[in-house]
Amino acid sequence: MPSSPLPDGHAATLVLDQLTLDRRDGDGRSFSILAIPALTLEPGTSLGVSGPSGSGKSSLLHLVAGLITPSAGRVSWGDTVVSALAEGERDRWRRRTIGFVFQDFHLVPELDVAANIALPASFSSWRLDAVDRRRALDLAEQMGLADPRRRAAVLSRGEQQRVAIARALFGKPALLLADEPTASLDAARSEAIGALLVEAATRCGASLICASHDAALLARMDRRLDLTPTPAKHAT
Amino acid sequence: MNPFPMLLADLRALRWTAPAIVLLVAIAIASGIAIGAQERALRQGSARAADDFDLIVGAPGSQTQLVMSTVYLQPDALPLLDGRILQALAQDERVAAFAPLGFGDVSRGYPVIGTTAAFAGRWGRIAPSEGRLFAAEGEAVIGADVNYRPGDTIAPSHGTAGSQGRHGEDSEEEHAHRHEGHGYTVVGRLPKLGSPWDRAILVPIESVWEIHGLGNGHASEAATSDAPFWHAGTTRTGTPPETIGRIGPPFDGKRVPGVPAIVIKPKSVAGAYALRAQYRQGGTMAFFPAEVLVSLYGALGDIRSILVVASAANTVLILLSVVLLLIAVNGLRRRRYATLRALGAPRSYVLLVTWLGAALLIATGCILGLGLGLAATHAVSGLVAARTGLALSPSVGIGELSQAAMLCLVGSVLAALPALASYRAPVLSGLRAD
Ligand SMILES: Nc1ncnc2c1ncn2[C@@H]1O[C@H](COP(=O)(O)OP(=O)(O)OP(=O)(O)O)[C@@H](O)[C@H]1O
Ligand SMILES: [Mg+2]
Repeated sequence: MPSSPLPDGHAATLVLDQLTLDRRDGDGRSFSILAIPALTLEPGTSLGVSGPSGSGKSSLLHLVAGLITPSAGRVSWGDTVVSALAEGERDRWRRRTIGFVFQDFHLVPELDVAANIALPASFSSWRLDAVDRRRALDLAEQMGLADPRRRAAVLSRGEQQRVAIARALFGKPALLLADEPTASLDAARSEAIGALLVEAATRCGASLICASHDAALLARMDRRLDLTPTPAKHAT
Repeated sequence: MNPFPMLLADLRALRWTAPAIVLLVAIAIASGIAIGAQERALRQGSARAADDFDLIVGAPGSQTQLVMSTVYLQPDALPLLDGRILQALAQDERVAAFAPLGFGDVSRGYPVIGTTAAFAGRWGRIAPSEGRLFAAEGEAVIGADVNYRPGDTIAPSHGTAGSQGRHGEDSEEEHAHRHEGHGYTVVGRLPKLGSPWDRAILVPIESVWEIHGLGNGHASEAATSDAPFWHAGTTRTGTPPETIGRIGPPFDGKRVPGVPAIVIKPKSVAGAYALRAQYRQGGTMAFFPAEVLVSLYGALGDIRSILVVASAANTVLILLSVVLLLIAVNGLRRRRYATLRALGAPRSYVLLVTWLGAALLIATGCILGLGLGLAATHAVSGLVAARTGLALSPSVGIGELSQAAMLCLVGSVLAALPALASYRAPVLSGLRAD
């Protein structure tokens, strides 16, 4: 349950080791999408991932979240080798550990703002208790979403993005992954949301990885990873 | 795990398609149920109507036609039996009771049937709900649904086969064929039998004979012939007139007029078979109405089987197309379910959401179909009752319930197909899908 004290709710060290992700192109030739020899992210640290479009920022976040498995190498979170977990366990690990802000938000249009934010609670518990409900409303308010009863279908892109962030924060994740969280926001809102993300992560001691083109957001991060391809990456 | 917020969101996303699916399934289920329940109701109702007709004797011809005319009172021209058989039956050891049935006259569209008071009272099984049974010529006892009242005078008309007027209404046709100067006084009303006989006017067979100028079949004929019964319209209800001749068996006149049918109540089963065997020869036919009904039910059952198979095939086709539709819908929702997985939902959650959604639609359809089927059966039974007077009491039996439950089960299992398709979908390709 999201509101209960989580045994593994506190950030652990994220280690990427000899991580590569290959895909086959249309002709069946294998090409590399991502290759990260080594990366260690201390608990509670934030990492900004930059790079041009198609450089593999989203793919990296998906790998870390265990949504895809690497072609080689491993992803580990503390003692857990995420890339080696079975699918069911990975789902459970993800539910307890990760808060994901998708690049395309992926809200449920028929549900209202509050229900979208609290949706992850329904994966593990039958009833949404008062604390969780309060938390969903608080998050909506923090995100500047005035009316938590509005359906997601009618929200603007900027509003949808804020709901997506609130949803990611709802489970008090130990690792917050945000895929271009400020891409649809105006400058003022970008600033506020960037600050909020960092502040939320710091408050719950979570690690934070942001993929972004937004220099201001990247500047807030403790560390940076640039995925801009070197010519060598496309060898093979 | 609580799949319901997502389930409701999914159903809402279907909009009008959801009620349409429910309705489709409901109609498919309802047709199957209505066919089964209606056939059973028809069978029970028609069997009940034949209750007091143990053995029927008639002139050779169609047994089915004779059953239709005697039990269900379908107007038809029937050949006559020799009246002497009535005398023979009165002597017969094996006969507990018998009654001639004379058809042909109508009044306000109701058939006027000549018989004995004993048969009008169904061999003592029923007593009039108002007044009394007829006790003399010129008296009539009416079925429960006849819109005359005790004390009314009924002027019979000669029925023209096939053209039976609307029940309860005078018609031009009747008026033209009225037996002038003849009338019956209603002395009682029978309780509801739930058969076409509820719409019959029962009079002494003697009166029917006399109206047609055939005498009255009794030895005392000469003595009473100068006190014609049609003046009996003036007799008081409640007091059987003494002056008028005896009615009912034995029919001991020198010349007993013919009748189209005789109902016999045998004393024993053995006697019944012996009587049937005897009257199957010598210019008569005899049979148990049950025999005719059994063969009719056989035909009815065959039709029912065909209809049931056709409607079951229909239902399965509809269920299949609903499942295909849901598979297509879930295909379009790949991203939606992948998102849930990416947010940490286990596969079983997605399975539950998709399966429950489909099963809920199908199960709702089944339950609605059950109600709809019952309503349809009642409507059809009402129509049958209005047309024939045959009271049907349709009910949903174990058969229909298990049929609906079976289809519901099949539907739920089929509903797992779209759910499994979503269950197996890889998360990320779903996220990238549009
Ligand atoms: N399953 C796949 N098969 C083939 N190619 C893939 C697959 N998944 C991702 N790619 C390719 O990998 C590359 C990296 O994609 P990714 O979405 O990670 O880029 P990105 O850095 O997030 O770009 P953007 O800034 O536009 O969001 C792209 O060229 C994409 O086409
Ligand atoms: Mg991306």
